[in-house]
Amino acid sequence: MRMKMKWAVLLVTLALGGSALGTELVVYTYDSFVSWGPAAAIEEAFQARHPDVDLIWVAPGAAAETLARLEAELASGGTGADVLLGIGDPDLVRASRLLKPYDPGLVPNLAYVPQEFLTLAPQGLALPFDQGYVTFVYDSERLPQRLVPRYFSDLLRCDLGRKIILEDPRTSSTGRAFLLWTVWHFGARGWQDFWRALLPNVLTITKGWSEAYDMFLSGEAPIVLSYSTDTAYSYLEEGSTRYRVVTLGGEAYRLVEWMGIVAGTDRPLLAHDFLDVVLSREVQELIPTTQWMFPVNQAAELPEDFARYAVVPEVPAELPPAEVARGLQGWLRDWQSLLGGG
Amino acid sequence: MTGRRGAGTVLALLPLAFLALAFFLPLAQVLSQGVREGGRWTSGRLAEVLADPYVRHLLRFTLEQALLSAGLSLALGFPLGWLLARYDFPGKGFLRAFTLVPFVLPPITVALGFILFFGNAGYLNRGLMAALHLPSPPLRVLYSLWGIVLAHAFYNAPVFARFVSTAWEGLDPEPLEAARTLGARPWQAFLTVTLPQLLPAVLSAFSLVFVFCFLSFAIPLALGGARYATVEVGVYMYARALGDTPRAAALALVEICISLGLTYLYLRGGGLFLARDGGGRPLSRVRFPSRPAHLLWLPYLALAVLVFLGPLGAVVADSFLRPWGGKAPTLSWYAYVFSGKSNPFLGTSPVGSIALSLEVGTAAAALALVLGMIVAAVLRRLRSTLLEALLMAPLAVSSVVLGLALLLAFGRPPLAALGRGPAAIVLAHTLITYPFVVRVIRPLWEGLDPALVEAARTLGAGRLRSFLTVELPLLSRGLLLAASFSFALSLGEMTAVIMLARPGLVTMPLAIYQFLSSSARQFGAASAMATLLILVAGATIWLWELAGRRWLARYGGT
Repeated sequence: MRMKMKWAVLLVTLALGGSALGTELVVYTYDSFVSWGPAAAIEEAFQARHPDVDLIWVAPGAAAETLARLEAELASGGTGADVLLGIGDPDLVRASRLLKPYDPGLVPNLAYVPQEFLTLAPQGLALPFDQGYVTFVYDSERLPQRLVPRYFSDLLRCDLGRKIILEDPRTSSTGRAFLLWTVWHFGARGWQDFWRALLPNVLTITKGWSEAYDMFLSGEAPIVLSYSTDTAYSYLEEGSTRYRVVTLGGEAYRLVEWMGIVAGTDRPLLAHDFLDVVLSREVQELIPTTQWMFPVNQAAELPEDFARYAVVPEVPAELPPAEVARGLQGWLRDWQSLLGGG
Repeated sequence: MTGRRGAGTVLALLPLAFLALAFFLPLAQVLSQGVREGGRWTSGRLAEVLADPYVRHLLRFTLEQALLSAGLSLALGFPLGWLLARYDFPGKGFLRAFTLVPFVLPPITVALGFILFFGNAGYLNRGLMAALHLPSPPLRVLYSLWGIVLAHAFYNAPVFARFVSTAWEGLDPEPLEAARTLGARPWQAFLTVTLPQLLPAVLSAFSLVFVFCFLSFAIPLALGGARYATVEVGVYMYARALGDTPRAAALALVEICISLGLTYLYLRGGGLFLARDGGGRPLSRVRFPSRPAHLLWLPYLALAVLVFLGPLGAVVADSFLRPWGGKAPTLSWYAYVFSGKSNPFLGTSPVGSIALSLEVGTAAAALALVLGMIVAAVLRRLRSTLLEALLMAPLAVSSVVLGLALLLAFGRPPLAALGRGPAAIVLAHTLITYPFVVRVIRPLWEGLDPALVEAARTLGAGRLRSFLTVELPLLSRGLLLAASFSFALSLGEMTAVIMLARPGLVTMPLAIYQFLSSSARQFGAASAMATLLILVAGATIWLWELAGRRWLARYGGT
């Protein structure tokens, strides 16, 4: 039986064929980075430096899901990934265990990234590539002005029943940011009460941001947890300000996105070069209008209309990464329990 | 006879050794994580999981939706069974064959159909909004308990229809005629005579459907969001999103205990039902439509068309009608699905996932056929309940748990030697499908006239030769059927695959799920690929019909 099994497996493997033989650089990222984000622009800039290298994007799911996949692959015998791009800072400590230190000398564009970012990360493992603010966005044609939430308490109004789309903090970095925001705002005890009161107003909790935003655009519900640059997006893409950003009492949760070189890669030089391309001024200037986030390269200039409509909150909320690393698993478990009415 | 038993024992060692290595060992290794901590046995984690409000919510929700789903399936399926048993009408054979579709239709296809048809922005709501000039979608069934229940009813109402119609057709008409002669009105006779006679079949179907819905995965995963999740989804979330295998294992243990209990109840009920075999003359049937009262069937038929054909039609229609670059109708989605361009959400090209599905399906069907034949041969020679339970055990384990067990087992010897290719998926599908091969082959084999084999042996054929030249050709129809059934099951199976898949190792149903959920919501691509799966499911049913309904009713029915 075992022999037969092996034969069948051998046949199947042969039929599948070996992977391409040329040099490849495999980048693991999350879904919306490829479907909405600047992946194409990065690929072009990278290909200009390395015309003979195939850049392969792999996006098995939302950010936290991609991370879990990579963890599982490394735990069970190895991965094809060379670079991990799109680590939300809630996952920074966890993801850093999968990374190998980068050599600053091989990433010249690092000179334009402010020091404050680098002190956030575990030393020398991950690099930031953009930042943004998680907050709520509403559809001004479907939500009456009087129902537009301005404070956390407004989200609990009973006339918002099933009108809010959220993302799952277990799988999505956007959802995770909102969970942390409520912890930051209400404190370690109060956040659960807020969530209990919020749930009746939630239409659904999706696995990732793209799914949630797509449902929002197709009119399934008029409020979605998203980013403070969404009005800039709809203005620049469609000339409309229909989708509007709100901050809650001036707050929005700051999210820095990180990238790093996967431990065990056998193409470290190419991987460093990839990081450098992402931090280059040309790619960073595209970040606002492709990824709809703010660049981290200080030399990059913001497009005028983007600067006008993208909202920078008066009070950026942010929990220190070390505190997140300590508390997150427990908060996620408590959050799960909330869903069960506990 | 002792020689036969001896040969049977040797033969039994083959599948037992295989199952020990590929099934029992991995399963024990993963489940023990739920009751072991730091090298010692403990019930602590089990208690912790059972006390967790989220797990309680999962259990409560899973039982609640299973009960409602079985109820709605009964409500939708009973009239269909009635129609099939009591009436004659054109297209009846087709309708009966259609009730087999859910057995091979991938759940993710059904979920996609429901989103496209019943979604807030789906065909039905858009149609109603246009027809009635409404500002907002009137039907809000999706993203709630009811969306899941309705999708489960789509899946399981045909099970009721089959159970009810088979039982009804087997009823002895005499008690009913006696009741009518004694002055009972038709509805009185129905309530007091027919219904009680049908009750065992209904109960049996109810418990079977309840188990199906209890173990449901793809539908709640695609339709439920974070709040409406079943225990299966919970195990998946713990294992794959949170990376907490011990908790996943503890929850899996709880789930296995409940599903084994439910399966036992079903088997008890099923025994009751199967013992009652209709004898004598068949019930007279009524031509349909022939009386004004038959108009009462119209609302049901309209509802059935809406619920059963709506979602499937929506999938097929959407694969042509979803605009590609602003153009529709279009064949571009099919061109895309058959293109070799790497897709980041799959880690391979769409056509690569089709190729993988075909290869996994072929390998799994071949292995399941071999394994199923051997198991059937063993069970034919050795009658032992324990042996049968051991040899059919994979039937009782949910696919998420099986996937989790194989995922961990492939990370260490001996299975690690099979590599990180599709072997794990092939193995999972072999384990999932071979019990069906046994169920189709075994009654057929046992029904063979032993005189034929004896004649061949008398004429000098060896054991192997008589098997190859006499038994195998006689079994060939059943084998073809079993192989196609295994192939279709493997092609549609997503639950074990989602546990075992890696980027680049993605089958068709998982590709549909990726197109649907996490990516740029490429509904057109999802629909085109789902239409391909519907075609395969349809072809299997067609083969099933070709093999002959009467033949099946004798040997392999449900």
